This record gives sequence, C-alpha cells and structure tokens, in this order.
Amino acid sequence: MSAQYRTSVTPRVRVVGRRVAVVAVVAVQLGLIGRGYWSDHKQFAFQMFPESSTWRAEVVRVTADGRRVPVEQPWSGYRWDELVQDRGLRYPSVRHHADAGLDNQLAFLDSALEWVADNTPRDSETRYLEATVTSWHNDDAPSMEVMRSSEREVAG
Amino acid sequence: MIARFDELLGRPVSMRALALLRVLAGPAVLLHLEPYLSDASHGETYQDSFYEPYAEAYPELPESLYIGLLWLGAAAAVAMSLGLLARMATTTTFAIVAYNLFLSTTHFHNNAAYLLIVLGLLAVAPCGRELSLDSWLRRRRGQAPLEPTAPGWPLWLLRFECAAVYGASGLSKLVDPDWFGGTVTWQRVVRAREDLEAWPLPDWAVSLLTDRGFHTGAAKFIVLTELLIALGLWWRGTRYAAVWVAVVFHLSIEASASVQVFSYLGIAVLLIWAVPSTRDRVLRLDLANDRHRRLRAAVGALDWLARFRVEPAAPGAPLQLVDRDGTVIAGAPAVAFTLSRLPLTAWFALPTLLLPAVRRARRAGSARIPVAAPAAGPVADR
Repeated sequence: MSAQYRTSVTPRVRVVGRRVAVVAVVAVQLGLIGRGYWSDHKQFAFQMFPESSTWRAEVVRVTADGRRVPVEQPWSGYRWDELVQDRGLRYPSVRHHADAGLDNQLAFLDSALEWVADNTPRDSETRYLEATVTSWHNDDAPSMEVMRSSEREVAG
Repeated sequence: MIARFDELLGRPVSMRALALLRVLAGPAVLLHLEPYLSDASHGETYQDSFYEPYAEAYPELPESLYIGLLWLGAAAAVAMSLGLLARMATTTTFAIVAYNLFLSTTHFHNNAAYLLIVLGLLAVAPCGRELSLDSWLRRRRGQAPLEPTAPGWPLWLLRFECAAVYGASGLSKLVDPDWFGGTVTWQRVVRAREDLEAWPLPDWAVSLLTDRGFHTGAAKFIVLTELLIALGLWWRGTRYAAVWVAVVFHLSIEASASVQVFSYLGIAVLLIWAVPSTRDRVLRLDLANDRHRRLRAAVGALDWLARFRVEPAAPGAPLQLVDRDGTVIAGAPAVAFTLSRLPLTAWFALPTLLLPAVRRARRAGSARIPVAAPAAGPVADR
C-alpha cells in the first residue's frame, strides 16, 4: 500500500502542504513558548505553576462627589462578586495566590476594572474604579501599585 | 534532507494510538465543558460577568445559540469517543472547544490549550477507522475495512507538542532562579501547611516538606524530571522510563493541585509514544492450558494498541513471546513483557523488566530467529 500511496495518491502539492503545515505548527509553538517569557498572558507557553506570588487589592469606586466606596458594598443593584467571578478576582481584598503569575493576575485585574466600569449602566455616580494592589513576588518584599479604570460619564 | 523529512511526514504508520486517544479524549472534553454547561443550566454564560475578548471582531453568539453550541460540543465529544462519524465529530468538537476558548482571555488555561492541540491533531488524522462505530458499521454492511495506516505527520506533530509541554514547563522553571532554587515550591507548601497537616502524614514528614533546605533539592529534582521526560520520550532506550516517570509526575500533580483535565489528558497522550505498528509481536499459547487461556483473555481484552498476535502453540509447549526483532522469551518473563506492553498494566509491569531473571531471559532470547508461520492462523486478531 505504502509505495502506491506515495506515488499515485500523494501529489506534490500535498507533500509540500504537509511540510509547510508541520514546520508552521512547530514554529508557532516555539514562538508562543518564547512569547511566554515577556507577555502577561502566556497562551500555549505551558509555564505551569510559575510563581508562589500572592496579591490583594483594595478596590473602590470613586464617585463624582469624591467618595471612595469599597466594591464589597453593593451599588446600583450590582455586586462585585457577581460581576467578576473568574481568575481569582472575586474577593480581591483577600490575599490570594497568583495562579498564573503576578503579571498575568494583575493584567486580569486591570481588565476587570475596565469591564466593570463599562458594564454597569445603572450606576450613575461612579467616575472610575481604582485598585490599590499589594503584591508579593515570590519571597520579595511587598510592592504597591494603583490601577484605575477609564473615566466614566456620570449624570449631573 | 528535505526529501527525508517529506518521507518521514508521509510515511504510512498505524493510527491505532490516535484512535485510542480519540476514544479517551471525549471524556476530557466533557470534563472541560462541564463548568460552562453547569453555568448555562443556571441561565448564566460568560457574558454575564467579566470577560475579555481577544479581538473586537471575534464573533459572539446570542446566549441561547451559545448554550446550544456548548451542548452540540458535548454531543460531538460523545460521538467522537464512540467513533460515530468520527472525522466530522472530532472536527466539530475541536471547532467548538476552540471557539469557546478564544471567546475570552479568561477562558484560557494550560490544560484547555493542551486539549485543543490534541483535538486539532486528532481532527486532521484519519483515526476513526479503528475502535469506532464507523468501522463496526462497515463490517456489518459487509464492506472492507478502511486502511488503518496513514501518513504519520499528525502523530509526529502530537509527539512534538507532548514533549513541548514538558520541555516548556521545565525550561521556564530552570531559568527562574526562584523556582530552581526552591523558593516557589517551599512557599507554596508552607502556605498550604494546614492542608498538609490534615493529611495522614507523620510529623517528621510535615517538617521535612516544609523545610527550606529540602526544597532546594526538590525543586531541582522537579525541574530535571520535566526536562528528562521531554527528552527521554524521543529515544527508544529511555522512552519507557520517561513514560513511567510521566505517569507518576501527573498523578503527583493531580494529588497536590487542581489542574482540571491536565492529568487525565497528559497520561492519555502518552499512548502516542507506542511504536506505530500493530500485531508485530507474536504470543504463542497452548490453548489447552488454563493459565495460557487466561493470558489470552487478558491480552484480548486489554491489548488496546493491538500490539500482539496470538497463535496457538503445540499442546504442552511453554508460553512463548516473539518480539518484533525476533527475540524469543518464554515463561514468566514473557508474561511480564506482555503485560508491560498493555496500556492498563504497563505502569505496573514495566519495573519487572528490570528483574535479573527477566533481563537474562531477554538477553538469552535475543539471538534473532525467524518468526515461524502460524500453525492455524491468528486466534485473537481483532
């Protein structure tokens, strides 16, 4: 079967196509493994259990009149733990392990602030959301940073 | 060079291991989709809470259609495992799992990525011609079975991806001083000390596992294990050891961390490292002998990779195994060797191949002899 298969069934284009497909998959996979060393999101880089880093964040809504209201308090019919349920972000004030690394975790937190700011139309008082993040990279000393969502348009 | 590369990619090889992996991949897909389906049954989808599309242009379905698609994915996974319209079912499963994975960055996990790679390569390989309802239906209709071999490139690519998973994981730890130095594992264990103390472990073991110095060595052992699996799989001399260690590695991870389908999938994918040829080992059995009949039954039930041809031996003849290189082994070493080549018993039987008696028997039988023509044809060919 094999000789016949190779000579009569396999046209040149199939041989070249197969070669290109295999080389492309290998190259893309190696590229994605390399990308994992600098990207916050490490898709297909297979960096398992990368860090023992931990983090927590005080997330507040900053209102038009300047109040800073913790998101643990429901607002305008919204609850943070219902709006943000995934990637270990549900209870940000509790110190958590950063499962896929600190950079990845904080990138998700940053995106979550933006998403909540954009997807809470009944909220007419919040100007932006702000997270004061304390993070511990492995056994390094803690570091702090502040993240903010974009400014929202508020009534009045 | 290119010609040799093309020959390798196009070389017809048995698709048996991929067929078995196809069967095993269905449950992995169902486990992967279960949280999404569970949320959907409560009327919730990814759209109801924080998610982050990769691209604005990525098409998003209305909620009811999305839920329907998830259920279609689950049904396709079942059909894929059963081998019913196997190619279409596998392609559908791959497409739906891929669509769902790329809906949001929050859906991404390493185990889902590995599952997607496996499904993609199963979809391009003609692995539905064996171990499938499709092949059973063909037989019932009196049609000739389809050719069970096909160009090997999907198998080689999956081997590359399998090794890449271990290699990438090991390399990322090797180049990270905190990981290689033991800080990461030590901190993880110390933080989980309460869980550790809940296990039935003696105090000295808990003290050892939470000792900083222990992790200085243990971390290096973990990193080198991953790298040795990645490399060891490529050479025949080290392949069985690499597979054996990889099974232990996955079971250890499963016991100590929540990794969704990764352990199950990781162990299942190890099947693809079997030499892709079938029925190239001969087991000669005296079918009047109860012990031989029991071994035939075990081989008939557990030889999922179709390694063996069973042939009747003369009455009173000892149990005999002829390996693919002509090595002849008899008696208990032959049983040990046979069990070491069956997927379900391999992990337990492989260490017995290191026993002096088994090694002596294999050495003594390695004088190559031609495989005799079967006296009455195969009796357990499936």
